[in-house]
Amino acid sequence: MSDFSVQFEGVSKRYTHFSLENIHLELPTGSIMGFIGANGAGKSTTIRILMGLVHQDTGTVRVLGHSMPGDQAAAKLDIGFVSEDMRLYGAATLKWHMDFMRPIYPRWDQTYAEELARRFDLKPQQKIKGLSHGQRVKSALLLALARRPRLLVLDEPTTGLDPVARMEVLSELMAVLADEDRTILFSSHNTLDVEQISDQITFIDRGRIIDSDDKEVFLDRWRRLRLVLPPDGVVPRLPGVVEVGGSGRLPVLTTNRFEPAMVSACNDLGATVQAVDTMTLEEIFVANVHSRRERLTA
Amino acid sequence: MNYSMVKSLIFKDWYFQRQAILLSLAGGALSLGIVVFGGQAGFTIGLILLVTVMVMLSAMTVLGNTLGERENQTLAFAMSLPISYLEYTTSKILGNLLIFVPFWLALVAGSLALIVATPVIHGFFAFTIIMAVEILVSTCLMIAVALVTESKGWAISAMVTGNVALNVVGYLVAQIPGIKDGMFGTAIYWNPTATILLAIEFALILLLLGIAFFIQSRKKDFI
Repeated sequence: MSDFSVQFEGVSKRYTHFSLENIHLELPTGSIMGFIGANGAGKSTTIRILMGLVHQDTGTVRVLGHSMPGDQAAAKLDIGFVSEDMRLYGAATLKWHMDFMRPIYPRWDQTYAEELARRFDLKPQQKIKGLSHGQRVKSALLLALARRPRLLVLDEPTTGLDPVARMEVLSELMAVLADEDRTILFSSHNTLDVEQISDQITFIDRGRIIDSDDKEVFLDRWRRLRLVLPPDGVVPRLPGVVEVGGSGRLPVLTTNRFEPAMVSACNDLGATVQAVDTMTLEEIFVANVHSRRERLTA
Repeated sequence: MNYSMVKSLIFKDWYFQRQAILLSLAGGALSLGIVVFGGQAGFTIGLILLVTVMVMLSAMTVLGNTLGERENQTLAFAMSLPISYLEYTTSKILGNLLIFVPFWLALVAGSLALIVATPVIHGFFAFTIIMAVEILVSTCLMIAVALVTESKGWAISAMVTGNVALNVVGYLVAQIPGIKDGMFGTAIYWNPTATILLAIEFALILLLLGIAFFIQSRKKDFI
């Protein structure tokens, strides 16, 4: 049995105006991966390939031990999938959807489904077309969770939700995390949501994975150093500097390989370290994307 | 092939098309009633209505079941279920046919029973069967085009083509000596020409559905 629920190896997919290039992605079983990228970065295409809905041109994809897209029917039996552009049948009620799905999934948990309906304040007898956007997302999430999937794939599930609905959805996801065998892939351009629930982070930009690691590693190794240079001083050359901002004698260095020893190294080179700022995931993401794009255009 | 999932998807489509099915049944019964009790004029009007109801049902089910899934963005939900795209295609073809065919069979049987019960139009027996199967060909054309192109425009074009073809085929079949000769007679007849025409129509149905399966199996993007 593989330790990875999802494995992409050298996956590429080309469209006329967009291409996904050489994607390598490994999602350890039991982990929660935040998949972050700007709109159009390739998150949804990657997830559609994962689900077997889009076939890759090259490379191999294995999901829960199944080769995709060939074994997609078997793989999807253990996957709960919710995406921003997924709609339930408007003319049917939530109860109809629950009754429809119950015989399909052997692990369907009706008690849990009803409990989720109460927790999300959903009325199973209400038709889907009468629900608000937030209620529809919660309904889709309920249907994905009640099948007790081994892998939960969420493609921008919180997009368009009001703050209360977003918090309710995220809280439920955090409750789901109690099950250590369940693996979650959570894609979003909202880094705040991802930061709250993920333990692994992958950044994607313009069809390429640009970084992937533990969340804590990201937060530990990315720092902004605010320096004060002596007159005629030069910006010290430090490892992993991806961006130099600020101005004149007050440069701000963004590094992705921060170590405490850097502070003394700066002092030795004549620069005074005024502050070492931690960075949010959003700042890390933006700096990462900018530095990569600058490297590409250089 | 996961037949249990295919069955679930077909039942789902039936559930969402139940109003169209009931409406069509009512329309079909009304048309047959007009044919039976409407006299000379009613016979023609009833037959036209009958064909219209059949075309309407096939259009509503194909547009609703097949294209509606994409238009209403429920395709992602359907495809998140444990099915392959070929199973999805099978469910759509069978689902549409299983909605249309029983209805079609009932109306064709009603029409044939009417012909059998009315000696003066016995000659229409072979022509009616050939034209009824032609309606089935048009429906299969629309199903195949809707599945393959996933476009409402193309599906409507296929429907229009099917309807135009229905008139053209009707005119041409009525000119074929083997059919024309007995058409206005008072005896029920069937001959090798009618068998050949019927075989061509069924071959066309198999070809259309086969092409749809073939193209679907080679598709790489489903959403």
